[in-house]
Amino acid sequence: MIDRAASRPWTAFAWAVLLVAVVVALTPYLWIVLASFKTRVDLFSSAPKWLFSPTFANYPAVFIGKEYWPLAINSLIISLSSTALCILIGAPAAYVFARADFPGKEDLFFFFLTTRMAPPISIAVPLFLFFTSLGLIDTIYAVVIAHTSFNLSLVVWMMRGFFAEIPKEIDEAAVMDGRSRLGAFVFIIAPLAAPGIAATAVLCFILSWNEFLYAFILVAFEGRPLTVGIPGLVTPHGTLWGQVAAVAVVATLPILIFTFLVQRQLVRGLTFGAVKG
Amino acid sequence: MTSLPVTSNTSGKTRGAFLLDRGVGPLLVLPATILVVIFLVGPFYYMVYTALTDLSFADATRKGAFVGFDNFRRLMRDDPLFWNSFLLTLKFVVVAVAMEFVIGFALALLIFKYVVRQRLLTTLLLIPMMLAPVAVGLIWRLLLQGDFGMVIYYLRAVGLLAQNAAVLSQPDLVFPAIVAIDIWQWTPFVTLVMLAGLMSLPRSPFEAAMMDGAGPLRIFLDVMLPLLRPIIALVLLLRGIDAFKEFDKVFIMTGGGPGTLTELVSIYAYRVNFRNWDLGYGAAVAFMVYLVVLILCSVFYKAVYWSAKPSSGLPAGAKP
Amino acid sequence: MGIVFDGISKVFPDGTAALHGLDLAFDTGEFIVLLGPSGSGKTTACRVLAGLEHPTGGRILVDGKDVTDLPPRFRGMGMVFQNYALYSHKSVYENIAYPLRVRKMAGTEIDRSVRNMADLLQIGRYLARKPSQLSGGQAQRVAVARALVWQPDICLMDEPLSNLDALLRLHMRTELKRLHRELKKTFVFVTHDQEEAMTLATRVAVLRDGRLVQFDEPKTVYRRPASRFVAEFMGRPAMNTFEGMLYAGMFRAGDIACAAPGIPDGPVVLGIRPEQVEIVDSSAADAVRFEVDVMELVEPDVLVFVRSGTSSMIVRTPNDDRTFAHGEPLFLRFPPAALHAFDAVTGARLT
Repeated sequence: MIDRAASRPWTAFAWAVLLVAVVVALTPYLWIVLASFKTRVDLFSSAPKWLFSPTFANYPAVFIGKEYWPLAINSLIISLSSTALCILIGAPAAYVFARADFPGKEDLFFFFLTTRMAPPISIAVPLFLFFTSLGLIDTIYAVVIAHTSFNLSLVVWMMRGFFAEIPKEIDEAAVMDGRSRLGAFVFIIAPLAAPGIAATAVLCFILSWNEFLYAFILVAFEGRPLTVGIPGLVTPHGTLWGQVAAVAVVATLPILIFTFLVQRQLVRGLTFGAVKG
Repeated sequence: MTSLPVTSNTSGKTRGAFLLDRGVGPLLVLPATILVVIFLVGPFYYMVYTALTDLSFADATRKGAFVGFDNFRRLMRDDPLFWNSFLLTLKFVVVAVAMEFVIGFALALLIFKYVVRQRLLTTLLLIPMMLAPVAVGLIWRLLLQGDFGMVIYYLRAVGLLAQNAAVLSQPDLVFPAIVAIDIWQWTPFVTLVMLAGLMSLPRSPFEAAMMDGAGPLRIFLDVMLPLLRPIIALVLLLRGIDAFKEFDKVFIMTGGGPGTLTELVSIYAYRVNFRNWDLGYGAAVAFMVYLVVLILCSVFYKAVYWSAKPSSGLPAGAKP
Repeated sequence: MGIVFDGISKVFPDGTAALHGLDLAFDTGEFIVLLGPSGSGKTTACRVLAGLEHPTGGRILVDGKDVTDLPPRFRGMGMVFQNYALYSHKSVYENIAYPLRVRKMAGTEIDRSVRNMADLLQIGRYLARKPSQLSGGQAQRVAVARALVWQPDICLMDEPLSNLDALLRLHMRTELKRLHRELKKTFVFVTHDQEEAMTLATRVAVLRDGRLVQFDEPKTVYRRPASRFVAEFMGRPAMNTFEGMLYAGMFRAGDIACAAPGIPDGPVVLGIRPEQVEIVDSSAADAVRFEVDVMELVEPDVLVFVRSGTSSMIVRTPNDDRTFAHGEPLFLRFPPAALHAFDAVTGARLT
């Protein structure tokens, strides 16, 4: 659209700007990846060192014999189980929102959105009291439940769009062929929506993995995920930045790879289905 | 008119499917609703209730007696720290979101107009926004370390920074720094959403404007901006809501300091609740945060429904 | 003078070639119809003329001036788009006024022009509405009004009627013809509908695979099609064609044999329009025997689908209540004057 055949100097200018943008966006992350392979001396050099002889000591130092390996496992358990719960509970709800009509449907749908938008700090305080009285505070269950609750609305909003894209006639054909509505959903519609379900699941996983505040308030010791554990590495003096960097890389690299897998659906997920990527 | 005999043969089955639509449909929504009600709505009302008590874990005499609106009175009249954090948060939201929008939209326009194969570029731009906020906080702490921070070094080298100082503990630099870091992390989001919006625009109004004699600027103002209006509203509101809730990055980088210079309202609420353990009053603070977000949220909902088209996956004819 | 396509080629970035050296020239004031099946390049030709596409080769001349590199807004052409392309956020009034506002015309002047144009197209009542509140026909009129309100010398129309229902299409067709007569502008109209071309055009340019195959008045295109393609494309039902051999003034194709004087010997494609076939008695000297397959009523005519061996054809004849039963023999005559002969290989007209 809007004549793409642009003049040469403008194209060069555009690419220069975009190149700067990419450099600015990437360099900080690149720097922490480099830092994770640096010795103390290279790290604390006052002039930034881009070339250095790498050390691989930082990774074993934090992940072998230290507490960070269990934290990574905790992160994994929390993210996987909250994602699984989200999809199991959220996908049928999304399907109903996409297909059925009942009084108050749209209000209920909006209600899910407001839960997503709720500031974690406002919910975390009573949730903290609630889990304390249940005796679930400082357990992994508390975080799983919290993450499932706040990701649920994302699943409902995102998946509704995916289901709405499947023609209603397919359900009707399945019902005419003798399946129940539920059977049509489980055996016909859900497989058709599989790519959308997968993308939603990956996004849920990422958001749960990256989440900090709920976990920070609900689990102080046992069952801490990585996000809660990493800041503990930073001390006012003598922070082992090489090790911090190593943990940070381990905590982020898998997520970035996941991100690339669902890039097409990402914009859609992060805008609650309002914009298609 | 009489119904066809065929209908009566299959009516048993039809009625079954019909019942499933009306009865089992809501049943499938029920688990999700219950979960959300117990763990998100319940806490909300519990928060409202707590805000009306004097509950404190730091003071054994305050066991949660009902005190009416005392906490809110204190909040409104006698708490400059709250208002300080509230105004600081508004400033943070306005400056950061405005900058993110301007830069992000400009980048989206450049990509849209000059880049044919956009996949690699958008993938690279995604990275900052997908990093865990905690990791972002740590990365920038490292980059802004006083004596060996890489960014500090280059800022000084080009003369943008006078002294060899840790930016995050400099009173005059710390707020601009957290705004800049938020811009760094979230501008790509604006770019990607606006780019998706640009790609979804119909071609013909632009061509019509060209034939009508409009130049590039007029086409931008008269055709593109009005067509993008719903998406602009969406992006501003989503970012606004998110920025208002900002906690993780800033908490990791500065903890709200130095002093209370970066104490955003979420961090203030955290401090009242989990440092001072003044839970009754803390709930009142949390309620105020919630209230603002709720207002922004209903505006968002209107904007989304305003832009709703059958193709966008949202219900077209739904009443707002 | 007028408009010239001088060897225009267009290859899109994805490699599809839409136009192969199109040459076409016409005068101002004409109603030119670019006609062709989908993929013939007619829309691309129109868009190149508008300036919305840049040709990969050749020049566009308007009144002798090379406008090839000129952006659309400096070309002085209005355009009506297939999907109307109205500004959905502006009222009908503002849609029509937009070309004038862009040209910074005075407010009173704008008002007068918009109302004149709206009256001419009978949409004066809808000026306050938004495009979403218009029917297809009304939206179409608004699009036409917007294209013409600033008095451009040339008005381009890219399949403007194809989104309308059949009845409305006939009506708008007449309106456009009246508009052309009253405004005396050059109209360039793109369509795949041969009937629209026949009724509207002062001259029809038939395109095929990005090339011009014929450029003539409608009746000439119909009566003396330049190629087998044009012959079969123009007219509903299409011209009947037979591939066969011609020897000493006699044409043979399977069981069919008929006199075809004045055509050189060799393999040939012979064509005749359905309405020019004559139904005769079995006794007639040059009668060819066919069998009736199906008949269709197209009042006031009747279409008879007939067969002979492997050949089949359609006969169009006034409906005089005669019935044609399946399998009934039917004797037909091909008047030599009504025959068209085309080269068996190239399809080019031979006579």
